[in-house]
Amino acid sequence: MKPGRVVASFDSATGMLRALSRFLHGRDVPLIGQGPATAEPVASALLGAANMLPRRLQERAYAASGWAEAVPPHKVGSIRSDELARWVTGHYPRRRGQVAFVGSANGALIHLCAALAAPWLPQTLLIPVRRRGVRPDEPREDLRHTRAAGQALLSANPDLVLHHMHDANQDRLMIAGMTYFRVKWRRLPAAYRRYLEENLAPGGTLVVADCGLRWPVTEVDTRYVFQHGALGGATRDEYQNGGPRVADYLRRYGSPHRRWDYPPVDGQRPEAEWGFEPGLLPDLQELAARNGWRLARMSFAEPEHLSPVIADLYREWYQHRGLPADRLLAECFLLLEPWWTLRSGSVPYWMVFNSEPSRASLTGYLDRADPFEEIRLLLFSHGVESVGLATIERWREVLARASKIGVFTGIDTRAYPRDFASLARAHRELAQIRATVPMPLPMDWPTAEKYLADRDELQWDTEANGNTSAR
Amino acid sequence: MSLFRQDHVVDDLTIAGHRKRGPGSAVVCVHGAGVSSRELLPFVDALGERHDVWAIDLPGFGASDKPDRPLTLSALADVVAAWVDQAGLERPCLLGASFGCQVVVDVAVRHPEAAAALVLAGPTVDPRGRSPWRLVGQWLRNARGESPRMTPLNIADYRDAGLRGVLAAFGESIRDRIEDKLTHVSVPTLVLRGGRDRMVPQPWAEEVTRLLPYGRLVVMEGLPHMTPYRDPGGVARCVEDFLSEVAV
Repeated sequence: MKPGRVVASFDSATGMLRALSRFLHGRDVPLIGQGPATAEPVASALLGAANMLPRRLQERAYAASGWAEAVPPHKVGSIRSDELARWVTGHYPRRRGQVAFVGSANGALIHLCAALAAPWLPQTLLIPVRRRGVRPDEPREDLRHTRAAGQALLSANPDLVLHHMHDANQDRLMIAGMTYFRVKWRRLPAAYRRYLEENLAPGGTLVVADCGLRWPVTEVDTRYVFQHGALGGATRDEYQNGGPRVADYLRRYGSPHRRWDYPPVDGQRPEAEWGFEPGLLPDLQELAARNGWRLARMSFAEPEHLSPVIADLYREWYQHRGLPADRLLAECFLLLEPWWTLRSGSVPYWMVFNSEPSRASLTGYLDRADPFEEIRLLLFSHGVESVGLATIERWREVLARASKIGVFTGIDTRAYPRDFASLARAHRELAQIRATVPMPLPMDWPTAEKYLADRDELQWDTEANGNTSAR
Repeated sequence: MSLFRQDHVVDDLTIAGHRKRGPGSAVVCVHGAGVSSRELLPFVDALGERHDVWAIDLPGFGASDKPDRPLTLSALADVVAAWVDQAGLERPCLLGASFGCQVVVDVAVRHPEAAAALVLAGPTVDPRGRSPWRLVGQWLRNARGESPRMTPLNIADYRDAGLRGVLAAFGESIRDRIEDKLTHVSVPTLVLRGGRDRMVPQPWAEEVTRLLPYGRLVVMEGLPHMTPYRDPGGVARCVEDFLSEVAV
């Protein structure tokens, strides 16, 4: 199978890879990078029509779209991680730079990379695998049915760790007919090595994006863990022990269960989607030492901890350029627009998802930051009224924080969280903004590094020629 | 208290006014191109519960006197400013609907003492749509979203104004460069846009708000261009909130 068909196109890592690589090619991100801008009106009309279907039909269509791009179980053993790595590096232009990133997926990181015109190589990719005969609320059954496929994947790819993941809350529709295999490289693939050697200049800095988020898991086998639940609206305790919100959610979706039955937890590991697996570090250290690069480790406890750091960085950068810096673009999950962020002179604030904790993190940032005249909000629709979903009314309260213009961008508020047209309309509406500013030259790396090293939200460790220092 | 008619004479022309005298501060509504205060009366009725609300017919339209020749936009604005004085209102809030926004912006810029706040409901004309044909196209596309009950009112208005008056008003709306004036509006201004308004695209409504030194945008989802007619209660609540916020 072609690597592009193996990896999920609707995932955070792939969405971010597309957004950044398109930016580095000087392009924006229509249709979440999946099609040309000329197709947007048609896609927007078709998806808009889908928004009007009866709810059951919508949910089935959404689930079917996910299933259609999942890998049949018998083909999982033929997936080769080297090909996936080549597919990743193939996205980027060949260009020598002073800095490159590798590691955790993170929307704020994508804006940092865009500002620096630097590439980012993801440690984690999502391989969706088709599966039958399991209800979404039965994580234990999911593992039982797909464990063999997981083991086949691992025996063919000794450089991967498999984080088999099951989130019956937020991925309810997607996991109806498939399961999520998130794979993390624990050894640096040859294609990454080659790409970095060709594109990172001698004396350059290789930065490890190290998200420290961990999650309770079940150890299934060597290099194979199973993760029940995910970062979002429900708490870890709710995933493990249930509770009134979980019971209510399961009742609303007609589930016979009132809590989830999952395999026993026996440890904690880097979170499947966002966490950094440190097994990759020795290879990165060796590569940096051999090429005369500095290796920097940018550690942050949770994905959204990077968001205010990068928002402030952009704000200072605009101010330094003599621009107003009073426009905020709040982005969600894979709805990212690095090109239009800069074109519209917007400060980017990235949120993990559309849930209440993400809304609270954005509100917390607004409480601390100088007021914004304009706030634009992109919201990802996952089709589920999941536990902890932030309602449209709650998002309206955020928009009311803008002193002049607080607007949903590309969102049909009546259809949310089943607004599938937002995938096409988010970029389309954003691109119509009339207040544009000139695109800047890339940000100076030493200035950015000093700024990042000084921020309390991050831990910044550097290694050069065997010496380690931390700030 | 119900709606009643109260006329004033400005520059020898009788200006028809419709008023509902609520307890709060004064709000004066100015209609769009070629039409009259007919379409604004349900809104006057709703907001009049709380504010002293007027809707006036510009000279040449509705029940007001017809001047010898159609007035230019600045002449219409001068009449509005003189009317405010004549009616004895002290710095009311001026609310424009469609072309009425262009009139009240002109008033606020050239007669700063005439208004304490503005409401721009569907501010025309988007500079990128500034041609007669584009305007007609936008008008036709928007018409599908408007209430069918508004059509007989429009017809009566066009009959009152006559073809010459209607065309002159549209001509004035196209010639006016509202974008040059917005930065000079020194009072708090609420910009209202119907989410389905085809005459005022969202990027233009945002640009209007951005250009205003004290602007704020509210998008009323699902509504067409004539928000005060389609949802008089909703628009009245919006305006009330705005007026209580800016303490007018």
